[in-house]
Amino acid sequence: MKLTRLHCERFTAFDQLTVDFSKGINVFIGANGTGKTHLMKIAYAACDITKSKMSFPEKLCRVFLPSGRSIGRLVKRQQASSRAMVRVEREKESLQASFSNHTDKPELAKVTGQTKWMAKPLESVFIPVKEMLSNGPGFRSLYNQREIHFEEIYADILDRAYRPPLRGPTDKARKDLLTSLQKVIDGKVVVNNEEFFLRNKQGNLEFTLLAEGIRKLGLLWTLIQNGTLLEGSVLFWDEPETNLNPKLYGALVQIILALQQAGIQVFLATHDYVILKELDLRRGDHDKVLYHSLYHDEAGDVQCQSTAQYLDISPNAIAETFSDLYDREVRRSMGGIRK
Amino acid sequence: MSEFTEGNLRIQFPTDVQVRKFDTARQHGRLNCMKAVDFIAELDDRYLFIEFKDPQHPKAQQTDRDEFIEKLGQGAIDEDLKYKYRDSLLYEWACQRAEKPIFFYVLIALDTLTDADLLVRTDALKRKLPLSGPPSGTWIRNIVAGCAVFNLTTWNEYLPEIPVSRIA
Repeated sequence: MKLTRLHCERFTAFDQLTVDFSKGINVFIGANGTGKTHLMKIAYAACDITKSKMSFPEKLCRVFLPSGRSIGRLVKRQQASSRAMVRVEREKESLQASFSNHTDKPELAKVTGQTKWMAKPLESVFIPVKEMLSNGPGFRSLYNQREIHFEEIYADILDRAYRPPLRGPTDKARKDLLTSLQKVIDGKVVVNNEEFFLRNKQGNLEFTLLAEGIRKLGLLWTLIQNGTLLEGSVLFWDEPETNLNPKLYGALVQIILALQQAGIQVFLATHDYVILKELDLRRGDHDKVLYHSLYHDEAGDVQCQSTAQYLDISPNAIAETFSDLYDREVRRSMGGIRK
Repeated sequence: MSEFTEGNLRIQFPTDVQVRKFDTARQHGRLNCMKAVDFIAELDDRYLFIEFKDPQHPKAQQTDRDEFIEKLGQGAIDEDLKYKYRDSLLYEWACQRAEKPIFFYVLIALDTLTDADLLVRTDALKRKLPLSGPPSGTWIRNIVAGCAVFNLTTWNEYLPEIPVSRIA
């Protein structure tokens, strides 16, 4: 069952915001500080608790990591006391948490809809900007035993990557995805004593020896192979383009489209024009893509405009950067028609 | 205002600007071995070489349109523009008319071209013409003073004195 809507009030960067999701691919764009990652983290926390059985406020606390684990610090900062509210919806259920800026423990937050929400498990994965697989050995035990200052998305991604391969025959869609990824990364991923390796004709290559972009695609391969990314799962991917050679963007976008076609709901945050344009050029009529443009309005509040058409994205922070460059280029090249 | 047409596009010039529709039989066509830009405009201190590409011409076939877009992406259009510019320059030089700086403006009438695409095409054209000579610095003067690629919207935004519009 797909996520359909997210609503939040006075939460971190947001005053009031509602975003309606596509069942296929959701692309967040916007300048730094407009809350792209925050929205994905809220939605991810809601998905994750259906499996981890943690309370929603507790998971929010773990993925946002407010100082002293004080959830009240996630309330949008203002002079007077105020309350934050976040609500995530899917087709028939809604999950809501609210708390004031004085709420210091997640268990003191008010939660509604959680029991019903948790009754239907929703597999999800959040791929953070920083690559984690090469730091895998020992990280999980350290994270579980000590209070180390890492947002939980980093430990979670390793948990998912360490899952053993899925048993039983591989269906065609999954097989095709794995094969196209293998072509790009030139091998398969294997795990030995918590260490990740790329296995190909040359033998086993440690992840630490691989380019970061390849490590990321290797992670994706692992998640498909071990069944974390299957029909009905939700993928959150923060800046998938980071550290990737732009020549691989086309292949990356093709894989994201294929994941969506296989019934996986996808959320992306990107700063990259080529990723957007590749998606626009490669999508077919049946592909479900929705762009969410986040921006600050005149009052300084974050707003969101959603559209299914690339050319209708407004404002388009990424394209505007090019417009500015083009403007300066043309002005330099012409010197006006009038003397 | 003087008015000229090229296919489905109309361009207007201020009356004090001398304009030649260059790519015509009378001006140029007898030399099949040379390519030509569409218009040459003469201002007090410069020439403007102007070339129109109109893949969105209402009568254009969808297959031709697709072919143009593919060629554009592969840089084949830049190649064509390069020869049009250089041959026109040589022709003008032989007529002893190329003594002022020349600016080359290209209009690609395709709505879907974004500013990013136009920036990429402008850079590619600069490299092809080329805008600057060899690193040894042996060129005394440049063969082009500046060049830019526009779509209809940006053309009219940056060149409001010589507006272009569709005839139908």
